[in-house]
Formats: sequence, C-alpha cells, structure tokens
Amino acid sequence: MQKRVVFRNRWLPYLLVAPQIAVTLIFFIWPAYQALETSFFVEDVFGFSRNFVWFENFTRLFADKGYLRSFWTTLVFGLSVTFLSMSMALALAVAANRVLKAATAYRTFLIWPYAVAPALAGVLWYFMMNPSLGILAYMLEGTFGVDWNHYVNGNQALLLVIIAAAWKQISYNFLFFLAGLQSIPKSLIEAAAIDGASPTRRFWTIVFPLLSPTTFFLLVVNLVYAFFDTFAIIHATTNGGPADATSILVYKVYSTGFVGQDYGSSAAQSVILMVLVIAMTVVQFRFIERKVQY
Amino acid sequence: MANLKLDRVGKTYAGGVSAVENASFEIADGEFIVLVGPSGCGKSTMLRMIAGLEEITDGDVQIGDRSVNGVEPGDRNIAMVFQNYALYPHMTVRGNMAYGLRNQGMPKPEVEARIAEAARFLQLEPYLDRKPSALSGGQRQRVAMGRAIVREPSVFLFDEPLSNLDAKLRTQLRAELKDLHKRLGATFIYVTHDQIEAMSLADRIVIMSAGRIEQIGTPMELYANPASTFVAEFIGAPPMNVLPVTGEAARAFLAQEARVPDDLGHVGIRPELMSIGDNGIPATITLVEPLGAETLVHLKMGADKLIMRSGHGLALDAGAEIKVAVEAGALRFFDRDGRTRSA
Ligand SMILES: Nc1ncnc2c1ncn2[C@@H]1O[C@H](COP(=O)(O)OP(=O)(O)O)[C@@H](O)[C@H]1O
Ligand SMILES: [Mg+2]
Repeated sequence: MQKRVVFRNRWLPYLLVAPQIAVTLIFFIWPAYQALETSFFVEDVFGFSRNFVWFENFTRLFADKGYLRSFWTTLVFGLSVTFLSMSMALALAVAANRVLKAATAYRTFLIWPYAVAPALAGVLWYFMMNPSLGILAYMLEGTFGVDWNHYVNGNQALLLVIIAAAWKQISYNFLFFLAGLQSIPKSLIEAAAIDGASPTRRFWTIVFPLLSPTTFFLLVVNLVYAFFDTFAIIHATTNGGPADATSILVYKVYSTGFVGQDYGSSAAQSVILMVLVIAMTVVQFRFIERKVQY
Repeated sequence: MANLKLDRVGKTYAGGVSAVENASFEIADGEFIVLVGPSGCGKSTMLRMIAGLEEITDGDVQIGDRSVNGVEPGDRNIAMVFQNYALYPHMTVRGNMAYGLRNQGMPKPEVEARIAEAARFLQLEPYLDRKPSALSGGQRQRVAMGRAIVREPSVFLFDEPLSNLDAKLRTQLRAELKDLHKRLGATFIYVTHDQIEAMSLADRIVIMSAGRIEQIGTPMELYANPASTFVAEFIGAPPMNVLPVTGEAARAFLAQEARVPDDLGHVGIRPELMSIGDNGIPATITLVEPLGAETLVHLKMGADKLIMRSGHGLALDAGAEIKVAVEAGALRFFDRDGRTRSA
C-alpha cells in the first residue's frame, strides 16, 4: 500500500518544490542553454558583436591538434586515476576487512582525504612535490636519483596530477569496497577454504567476482570524477601545464574561455563534455539497474 | 577414511567467551556422530575447530591419527555442509561442485565424471547449469551435499544442514542422509539442535550444554539412562518428567520403590512408563492431547505437573480423577546437582 499525502491547497505542493526547481533552472538548465547557444556563435575580441556560425566552433575543435591531444590526455588521466585509486582502495579495504575490530581508527584515517577540498589536495601535493622545496621530491632525488621537476617534464606533471587525483578518491572507493566486502557472507570464504583454495585464489575466484556490482559502480563514478571533477586539483597543482601536458578536457574549457577569451570554442567544448557526461550517466543507470548477474 | 580424536579441546574466543571447554571424545572410522544441544552451547564451534575454520585454544584434534592443529582446512581431507548452504552464487551448480576438485588440480575428465555421478545420485542432473539462485531450498541443500560428496573426503561435517527446510522435506532429507552415510561409509559429524534428528541419525550422540559435553552414547543409552537432568529433559518429546524430591509426586513414586539412593535431588520418569491402573498414585487429569496413534495426558499430582503417554482411544476428559501405575525399574534418580545416581 502506498501512503500518499493529500494537499488541501492546490498551490502548496508547487510552492514546496519551487526552490529545487529554481536551483535547477538557474544553475543548471540556464547555463547549459547558454553554453549551447554560445557554441553556435563567434564573438569578436572586444565582445561588441557576434556572428552565428552554425557548427564552425565544433569543426574547428576537431581539426585542432591541441584539442585532440587533450582528449588523449583525458583518457590517460581518467583511466590511470580510476585504476590507481580503485586498486589502492581495494587493497586497503581487504586489509581493513581482515582486522575489522582494530579498523575503526584505520578507517577514520582513510576517510580523511575525502574530506579535504580538491583545491587543498592539489596544494598539498604541489608542496610535497615541489622540485625545490617539496619533501617527496627531495626524497625521490635522494633515494631513487629521480630528478623530479614537473614544471618542465610533462610526463611527471601528468603523473603528479594522477597521483593527487587518485589519492583524493581512495577514501570514497575504500568505503564502498569495505561495505561490499562485508556483505559477502563469511561462510562462502570458509567453504572455499575447505575446498582447498589458497587465500589468493579465494580472492580472485570468490571475493572479486562477488564484488563486481560495487566495482562496476565505482568504475563509472571514478571515470566521471576523473573526467569532470578534477579541475580544482589540476588548477592548483599544474595549471594544465607544462605545455598543456595536464590539460584535460575540463581544464581546456576553462583555459580556452577564461584565459583565451574564445567563448564560442569554450562553449562548444562544454557542450561536448555535456554529451559525454550524459552518455556516461545513461551507461551507469542502464547497467546498475540490471546489476551484475548472479 | 579416518577416525577422529579430540583431546581436552577448548575454545575461548577473542572477546573472552569460552565456547567449548575440555571436550574429549573419539570417533571411530565410518561412525555417524551427532553433536546436539541447545542453541549457543558450542556445537558449531566444536565442528568448526574440527574443520580448521576456528583455531583451537586448548588441547589437540587428531584426524586419522595425525594431529591437525595448524593444518589448513583444505588439507584436512574433510568436507563441510553449512546451514545456509554457502553455495558460490556466481557459479553454476556444476561450477560449485567442480571448484574444490579444480583447486586440487584434478584433470577435467575426472572432474566431469565425479560431478556426473554425484548429480545422478542426488537427482541434480537437470539443474547442473543453473545458478543457485534459481533453485529451491531442498535443491540447494542437495547441491551443498554434492559439493561435499565429489571430493570424496574421509570426514563429512554438517552444521544444521536441514534447519532451513520445512518439516516434510526435512524428514525426507534425513532419510536420504542416513542412506548416504551407509553408501559412502565415511565418518559423519553432524550438528543439530533438534533431538529428533539426533536420535534418528546418530550411531552415537554427543550432547552438549554450555560448552561442556554432558553425555556421550547411543541414542537408546541416552534415552534410557540420561546422565543428568539436562539430558533427561533434552532427549525425548515429551521429555522425561523430572520432579523435585520434596514434591508430593516424587514422594509418592519413591514410596513404591524398594531401593532408593541417598542425597536425592530429583526423580525422573518417562511419560510412556506410566499407565492408568486400578490402584496406584492418585492424580487429576488437567489436559488431554490426542495425537492419533497416542495421547498425551497432562496430570497434576498435588502441586507437581507431569505428562503421561497413553495409547489411543482414551475415554477420559480433563478433570477426571485417576490412579497412575508405574512400571518396575522406571524411576531415574538424580542428585541435587542434577547428576544421575544409581540405586
Ligand atoms: N566468532 C565468535 N566470537 C565470539 N564469540 C563467539 C563467536 N562465535 C560463537 N561465539 C559464542 O560462542 C558460543 C557458542 O557458539 P556456537 O558454537 O555458535 O553455538 P551453537 O552452534 O551451539 O549454537 C556462543 O555463546 C556464541 O555467542
Ligand atoms: Mg550453530
């Protein structure tokens, strides 16, 4: 049976949902519409006039080597962050699950990074890895003889933002993995032990497959995070540099629009991102609804 | 095939809970042993220590004359059937049965052959390619059994394998289990809280209470000569009437007995060893429960209540005054601690 609230007043229900609708309209629908509109115009440098140019902004983008490279950077960045943060989180969750009684403190420590603002996380790593005064950079140099300088070396810069972004996401993944692990009945693991499976084999043949709904969910969430939610980290750590080595698509929207003042192109880029995020959301809902079959 | 020996085995959990204390018994090769007792008395703990799933904190467990302390569960040549079946949900029935064999590195044709044989025996052939979620409770139970059988272990461990099933299926599977034991000839150790299951399945019963073994013996030994009031009241339905010696009923029973031990605490008598006679102990019927083949008659003797088992067709009603006759040698004597005393 369904419990329904019946409103006497016709307008009260509308009034109650109005704030939410207003927020959505003002901060989501309206900007999205603006971006969509702007993406079809080219504006002159001083903002005095703009011309409707159909899809020119888009065709220009896909002819731009820098933009295509940013796609590639985003892919490398996204996959690396996802893989790194998920595998670290899983390893930590397995360890925590094993000693759960002592895990309260352990869990609290692991949750901290998630509470750190992205920009702060970026600054944290910026300082630790700073080539001239960073402690980690110093240790890398001393222990492994690595000459760390992400201001010059594009690969090192990309690695830095990958680590910073992954680090920030580990806590989130950890919590989900831990919950997932705890929902696996202990008797299954015990049955596998009696069936003569070594701990490693138990993990890969029983635990990991049973975690697959969690893993899939996190996969999508992490990719979305890496693609769209890491702007602040990159902005605080590398500013997209050196030479655009860490300019993922989201960062490019910002640098083209606010630094390059090319609003048409920036808007077109954000429309492309919008399509991407919609596609990923659809994938997520499709598959999560269906869950993983067993 | 293997015999088992538990020598002063104890288990104290990390929190300080002492689940099993000083448990010693031996199990012969091929024996069907049932561990029975109320919930929380340490049966599962005992079984899990034999399986190697729980570390032993005291004593020694031997399987086939080999001490297995510190031996991995997978290396003990045992199989276990769990109460919730613990089937691998992401594998088919076939996959579930093959898992343990593949871990041993058994060649594929032999794995297939063993699964085919077990499936035929357990009537699981139509379901081999289904996932456990697509099976009924009874079928899942059979798969769990199949998973144990294919490994051909020398010891089978069962932890309340039938308690999630309905009564009818339980009776049926109980018979199948007994049959299975006969065919395989392996050692079975079976945990249950249900005394009927224990009585019907066991060669010998180990009855436990609060982490201690109360008595070990054949079902009939336990039934006829319980070592304590606990056993007397646990085994049998309805259980033995256990009456305090200070009460009127016990005094009346004892008055008819030639030899009575000293220092008695309780007197026990089985419901079927009493009958309605022309002369005997006066009692009042308080309730009559006709069960078909037999009738349970609830009696009151002074302030004491007891139950008598009578044949069918009893023509009496509640409120009737009767005389209760007792068979010779029917009384059991217990001291003040509830331990048995012989006359
Ligand atoms: N993992 C555990 N940690 C602490 N105490 C436990 C654990 N498992 C069981 N116990 C305690 O040990 C006692 C015996 O439990 P168990 O062997 O499961 O009883 P049974 O199977 O006879 O119902 C109970 O008091 C139970 O609460
Ligand atoms: Mg139990």
